[in-house]
Amino acid sequence: MTDVSSPPPATRRIDPVALVALVAVASAYGRAIWFTPPEATQGFAQKILYVHAPAAWVAFLAFGVTALAGAFWLFLKDQRLDRLAESSAEVGVIFTTAVLVTGPLWGKPVWGTWWTWDARLTLTLFLWFIYVGYLVLRGVIPGREQRARYAAVVGILGALLIPFIHLSVYLFRTLHPLPVVARPEGPAMPAVMVTTFFLAFFAFTLLYVAFVRARIALAVERDTLDDAAVGG
Amino acid sequence: MPDNALYYRLAYVATLVLYVGYTISLVVRARALARRRQRQRDGRA
Repeated sequence: MTDVSSPPPATRRIDPVALVALVAVASAYGRAIWFTPPEATQGFAQKILYVHAPAAWVAFLAFGVTALAGAFWLFLKDQRLDRLAESSAEVGVIFTTAVLVTGPLWGKPVWGTWWTWDARLTLTLFLWFIYVGYLVLRGVIPGREQRARYAAVVGILGALLIPFIHLSVYLFRTLHPLPVVARPEGPAMPAVMVTTFFLAFFAFTLLYVAFVRARIALAVERDTLDDAAVGG
Repeated sequence: MPDNALYYRLAYVATLVLYVGYTISLVVRARALARRRQRQRDGRA
């Protein structure tokens, strides 16, 4: 039986990773807003890149972690893996939402339209639907093991979209720009912009880690209380 | 240079709202779990 009178959990402590992430994200926003010049052709709208591309990277990372944790859960049946998958998927949905909101805000001034059914945009929207579905699925299955098994399968299948999204700008005729930093011939931006770009990548990756750690702490506490309720 | 700063400001505000909103949701859920823990503890006393 689980003891609910034991000292409560990580949900009440402030995580040092969260503090570092907060400083890093504030630095990234500050540098992008005040210390990085706008690009001559696109104007200030180009600065959307610094919140859009890192959010896309984190979304891919988050769903990749969900798929891997789910795959390992299928073999090991370790509840910690299921909590990691669940937490990472939820955080991934937040970052994919950021991608889907900031993309049209860049598209309107640069392309002249909020949205187009371009391969990369459409596949990213599908990715968002799949992982929202993943979270809904988790919410409607009461049994812990059955929930973890079904979620692992959906999490793995959903992540199969990620390489297609990444390669969509090469595989399909698309409006979406090709990579401007990760290119064999080097970044197509001046150093001041590249520095901001990598700072934002680092900051949002840290934010992902902080969010996932906090979300796992919630899942641990929820499972502890569920076990105590059943046991008592 | 085109005058489109409004879109970039909107994008930055939108992402901040999302991340702060998610942080608040984590805090709200942690508090709900703390209340649940308290109720379960009281129920056993």
